[in-house]
Amino acid sequence: MNKFWIIVGEVYKKNVKSGAFLSMVLSPVIIIAVIGIVAFFVNSSSEVPKIAIVSDNQEIVQLLKTDKKSYKVNSKITTTADAEKALKKDDIAGYLVINESKSAITGEFIKTPTSADVDTTLMLQTLTALQTNQIASNLGLSQEEVGSLTQPADIKVKTIKFDGDKQQTNNDTDTMIKVFGAYFVSFVIYMLMIYYSAIIAQEIASEKGTRIMEIILSSVSATEHFFGKLVGILFVCLTQIVAYIVMGTIAYRFGKSLDFVQNLMNGIDLVEILKGLISYSLIFFILGMLLYSVLSAFLGSLVSKVEEASKAVTPLTFVIMIGFFAGIYGMGSPNAPLVKIGSYVPLFTPFIMPFRIANDTVSSGGVLTSILITFVFTGVVTYLSLMMYRSNVLVYSDTGLFKTMKNSWVIMRNERIKK
Amino acid sequence: MNKFVEWGRRTMLEVKHLKKTFGNLTAVDDLSFTIKDGEILGMIGQNGAGKTTTFRLILKFLTQDSGEVLWNGHPLKKTDYDIIGYLPEERGLYPKVSIEDQIYYFARLRGKSKKEIKPLIDGWMEKFQVKGKKTDKVKSLSKGNQQKVQLICTLIHEPKLVILDEPFSGLDPVNADLLQKGIIELREKGSCVIFSSHQMENVEEICDHLVMLRNGEMVLNGKVKDIREQFGRTKIFIDSKLNQNELLALPGVSEVSRTTEGLSVLHLTDPAYGQEIFNIVTKDGYIPTFSQMPPTLEEIFKMKAGDLHE
Repeated sequence: MNKFWIIVGEVYKKNVKSGAFLSMVLSPVIIIAVIGIVAFFVNSSSEVPKIAIVSDNQEIVQLLKTDKKSYKVNSKITTTADAEKALKKDDIAGYLVINESKSAITGEFIKTPTSADVDTTLMLQTLTALQTNQIASNLGLSQEEVGSLTQPADIKVKTIKFDGDKQQTNNDTDTMIKVFGAYFVSFVIYMLMIYYSAIIAQEIASEKGTRIMEIILSSVSATEHFFGKLVGILFVCLTQIVAYIVMGTIAYRFGKSLDFVQNLMNGIDLVEILKGLISYSLIFFILGMLLYSVLSAFLGSLVSKVEEASKAVTPLTFVIMIGFFAGIYGMGSPNAPLVKIGSYVPLFTPFIMPFRIANDTVSSGGVLTSILITFVFTGVVTYLSLMMYRSNVLVYSDTGLFKTMKNSWVIMRNERIKK
Repeated sequence: MNKFVEWGRRTMLEVKHLKKTFGNLTAVDDLSFTIKDGEILGMIGQNGAGKTTTFRLILKFLTQDSGEVLWNGHPLKKTDYDIIGYLPEERGLYPKVSIEDQIYYFARLRGKSKKEIKPLIDGWMEKFQVKGKKTDKVKSLSKGNQQKVQLICTLIHEPKLVILDEPFSGLDPVNADLLQKGIIELREKGSCVIFSSHQMENVEEICDHLVMLRNGEMVLNGKVKDIREQFGRTKIFIDSKLNQNELLALPGVSEVSRTTEGLSVLHLTDPAYGQEIFNIVTKDGYIPTFSQMPPTLEEIFKMKAGDLHE
């Protein structure tokens, strides 16, 4: 066991010290930082667009002026001709021409394709309210009558779930957290495994082309070596995750007082989300990471040279992508047969099942079954990769993947019969 | 070597009727030999004779079809890994790792701690005259120096069973000498050493025991001196005034050749003619050289390897 940890340590040290690891950890942080800085500057520098209003009714103009968030009204311009001139010179972003008739108020907002965007929703609301009041007073309606007239009909969506005989009502926050968890799981697995599948395969294949392997194998068993490498890399991966958690915590502590962050975090209960993550999401995350790590190791143990490792892992990268997008698709249509079946296919379970759970389209039994299938599948793949590794770790041929596989199989069978 | 000491030695490694096939190819066939502690066994044979396969069978990289390998009377177990020192045929080190870290890693895999190994490194670097600092990266070293570092990795944990696959290949005579001394030192410490070589001088000089393989079969097995003797003293090195034809006319001489030093070499059909020839060539009195010798190991090697093609 001692030697196992020596290998774990060596693999860990080698990978964490490498420049590739550092850039891998830092690149998303740098990207986020750059986006953040850009967003910050865009936010702070964007001016409220100026507009002009052409109307005979000063009451309306005054009312529209009260909204200062979406636009600023240039009161000096009062005629269409002036407004057009100003627009031509790009002094204003557009102008609103209001026409009043007895029963309706219509407005026309004129702008150029290049002028700054102006949000017209508030204008519309203001004008609608005015119009309603106007019609109401024409009809001689009281305030209450207007109120009840404008009251919209209401539909509340309530999802219930039948769990045996009991009827359960879903909690919206709960669903939101589950959906977030599902996105989180599939996105993080996707991001990490796109990187780590190649790293794991390379690490597993790393000494194979060289004679170092013979020295190592005369010191430790192939099994210890195989698991030592795998666990070493998983620790590297864990280090990256912990690094993000630490960075995230620090960033949150410093950033939570900023307006910008507060806006972003508005309505998001961080504690609830974290609680939500530590449930099925965490299980699927760990399971997914293990499964894909082991699959990468399997592919790494198939090749006879480290140069071939990244080539061998390419199909897996596609599988990960398919899984990721299937999960996103599953979010939209959780009841599609493809999604239902896919959620039980071990390769896709970690991506799809969390979305099905979030949508409540699967029973607890189904979830447990899928976990069990994935778990067993992971175990089988682990065993197979170990067997492959043990049998072809000393095969020096430069033949292709399938020939190596065939050779390994022959050796494996030969060795087993003799044992 | 003192006969008494020899009797006192224990058999450490026992290879019994080892056989390994790869498909239709028999790589090793019915191979048996033993090594006592403090003994050096040289393994010779052409390329593909089964030397490396034998080593891999001993080290359990491969599983034999039949036969067994015993260490101290029991099959080699995982716990025995720490007492092995193995130098593979082609060298392999991590190019980007420093000499020091390389040595630590392999030593730790042999159950030694960094603390135990640290004070030893300088001594070993000096012994093999490795050019470079111990903090240098392996890839910055020349091929010969890399090989020496590899040797240090193989030997620094004082293994009891040392297996060296072609340790002399690629070494210049000075370094080959250093290695020979190193191997003899190991024997004195009681390790048993197996090595394979194409250079017969090395084998002849330091081996206690010799095994020759041909197509996986053992064609020679025994002490170097005994093996040579068993071929008979069929060669006479002679410094004589007689000319080529006169020498060829001597009884029992089948062939006469000359060495670069100017000696004539008489090839005898039977060693028994030696006495008669001696009497004839010395009848006029003193001659500086008369030496009746068995064939050299190299000649035996070529002879035995040549049998194959018949």
